[in-house]
Amino acid sequence: MSVSSPELKLGFRISRIRRQGWLISGAAVLLSLVGMALCWSNPQIAAPLRPGLDFTGGTQIQIERSCDPAACGSLTAEAVRQQLAGLTLPEISGQATPRLGSAAVQVLDRGRSVDLRLPDLEPEQTQALLQGLEPLIGTVNPQQLSVNTIGPTLGSQLLQGSLVSLLVSFAAIAVYISFRYDGIFAGLALLCLAHDVLITCGVFAWLGLLRGTEVDSLFAVALITVAGYSVNDTVVVFDRIREQKRTLQGLSLEDQVDVAVDATLTRSLYTSLTTLLPLIALLLFGGSSLFWFAVALTVGIAVGSWSSIGIAPTLLPLLARR
Amino acid sequence: MARQQGWFALILALAFAAAAVLASFPLQLGLDLRGGSQLTLQVMPAGAIKRVQSEQLEAVKDVLDRRINGLGVSESTLQTIGDDQLLLQLPGEQDPSRAAKVLGTTALLEFRAQKPGTEQEMSGLLKLKRQAKAVLDQQKAIGTEKAEEPSLKAEELAQLLRELGVTVPPGSSESEQLEALLAEVNTRIVALYEPADLTGKDLTGAGRQQQQTGNAWDVTLSFNAEGGRKFAALTQRIAGTGRLLGIVLDGRSISEASVGPEFKPAGISGGAASITGNFTAEEARDLEVQLRGGSLPLPVQVIEQRTIGATLGTENVQRSLQAALLGLALVAVFMVVVYRLPGAVAVVALALYALFNLALYALIPVTLTLPGIAGFILSIGIAVDANVLIFERVKEELRRGNTLIRSIDSGFSLAFSSILDGHVTGLISCAALFALGTGLVKGFAVTLGLGLLLSLFTALTCTRSLLRLLMGYSGLRRSTYFLPQSQLPGSAA
Repeated sequence: MSVSSPELKLGFRISRIRRQGWLISGAAVLLSLVGMALCWSNPQIAAPLRPGLDFTGGTQIQIERSCDPAACGSLTAEAVRQQLAGLTLPEISGQATPRLGSAAVQVLDRGRSVDLRLPDLEPEQTQALLQGLEPLIGTVNPQQLSVNTIGPTLGSQLLQGSLVSLLVSFAAIAVYISFRYDGIFAGLALLCLAHDVLITCGVFAWLGLLRGTEVDSLFAVALITVAGYSVNDTVVVFDRIREQKRTLQGLSLEDQVDVAVDATLTRSLYTSLTTLLPLIALLLFGGSSLFWFAVALTVGIAVGSWSSIGIAPTLLPLLARR
Repeated sequence: MARQQGWFALILALAFAAAAVLASFPLQLGLDLRGGSQLTLQVMPAGAIKRVQSEQLEAVKDVLDRRINGLGVSESTLQTIGDDQLLLQLPGEQDPSRAAKVLGTTALLEFRAQKPGTEQEMSGLLKLKRQAKAVLDQQKAIGTEKAEEPSLKAEELAQLLRELGVTVPPGSSESEQLEALLAEVNTRIVALYEPADLTGKDLTGAGRQQQQTGNAWDVTLSFNAEGGRKFAALTQRIAGTGRLLGIVLDGRSISEASVGPEFKPAGISGGAASITGNFTAEEARDLEVQLRGGSLPLPVQVIEQRTIGATLGTENVQRSLQAALLGLALVAVFMVVVYRLPGAVAVVALALYALFNLALYALIPVTLTLPGIAGFILSIGIAVDANVLIFERVKEELRRGNTLIRSIDSGFSLAFSSILDGHVTGLISCAALFALGTGLVKGFAVTLGLGLLLSLFTALTCTRSLLRLLMGYSGLRRSTYFLPQSQLPGSAA
């Protein structure tokens, strides 16, 4: 490629729309921060995201009922709540029995499935509770039952473990990129990563506010995945820019960035598309246990793909000039 | 050319090996996928111990292992996590509440009174127990399987086992049969006791002492205040009646003691007692160890219990698996439509990639959980990305007017550095997640990390050597199999 003329023939020049890009990303990040702040100030949540059972501790019981559709439909959450309030659970090793009045009850799937959120229960108490519910909801088949009990200490351990491993891996990635490229690239990669993770969190903060969606430990896994993907995506564009610093020495940095983005654009879009295809399939047709996980990954990977095209490369000339 | 064929042969051999591995080693599915219960136990520091050491964790694990074996749950696993936690997994439909109860209590040592009206049955069982023990001791003393003067004949033993309904595996030795008999007798003795209200929780110590006269040994017990009161009440109730006081450890009777009529007025009070059983020194030590060892060195607490019904588990997996397969099929169609011949080659390489991955999971073995599957899907995404990077580069080189073979070669070499960087950064995060993360996160890190390592291999060798091999056939050496005619230089101009 001969490159003496400043008139480049490019299908797409990212620098032409960089201001709009920054504006959109800035607004999305701001909106995410607002969502998390609202969550935090909400006394019911009191955290940047609505924490699920994994982080708060407690017992969650999910029962798939075996009843014919007509009979199933008559069950209401209120009836379950009343039945629960009337139960007395066995006392375990001198500790006060948890009060069941505070339980959150959801009747899903037209009465065919019941979801209970309770304080931390001992296994014997769970057993007693299920027996106590049987007159109302019918025989509980252990094959169709899921019980999760998380002690309060485990939740904080889980959160701590995920955060520490996330931060350590960021630091290690920054060191690697500084070593292979330079400090500015590493800083930009981390900025993009923060952008992607923040917006994914923001979406879930708003979901938590508007429809009570909770984040669990799978969400933490999704965030880590988004972070890894974001860096992988960004590195490809950086690699191209570095390669062109040698071949396109006559061009300004802006133009070099435009050339690199144009050259890797197809790849960036195709890669996101091929990763998103299985995720969208999982979202539409997968089991319920992976639904929110798939949502988090889909959002994160889509945002990550955008930031590797529209944010990291366009900020490079600004930072490199100084 | 010969080199490409060598690579191709190697890949083919690996594919067969992977298929063979998958056929002979089943994939291990986590409990969230196949149903079952999982309990996490926190070992708590107590008393003088401020931090749980690894020896103490092991000691707790040993005691719990014995208790779980006593429960008769199949295929359970107990493993240590970190410095102070244990993970118990019970696959299938097994009641986790029973396990949690057994594990959570510090001791399963019980002191129980014999039920009234069972004297005759008890004395029969005790006689059997004495006989069986005597023969076993004799055998141990001689160190051979044949006792010199067996007080139980082989036919008699077989008869007894039949009567008690004990089945022994065919070909078991005499001592194994005796042990089985003894175990059954001990279980039956326990059935003759009333429920316990005094347990090892109230036992503060156990010891042994030689009797004043003769060689026999006694075993001593000491209780805390509450235990002392309960023990007094218990012994008062059976004193002089001929009914026995049973000491039961994990549902097996380990000792039976009579309480003399002199204790009728107040029971054995004072919080201490001795069992006068004419024990030998060895028996006394065994009993002492059992009494002490029956209690956990440190208390444990169940901090997490996850149970998923078997049907719920499999339903979820099947739906997610079908969805993932559908997504991958779409990716395959996409690759062939966009990249033509190399796209088809990449699909073959990616199928091999998935096969190698699964074989590795079976071989290591990696237990597949939901996050693990997520890691697998993501690694497929990155493996596809490596192919996309290469083929985009090949296309670029072709558009510049390079020859086909040259374009392929430079496509691979130019894409290499970005593929390497992407994979290395991914591996760095996996290492951090594996070292510092908790269970779920670890499962994810393992499958993603393995996937990344394998993807480096398949993208750079499988795709490449397959493509080079095909280029050996002149009929396939056409640029239009790589790029539409309109994008080739010289055609549009």
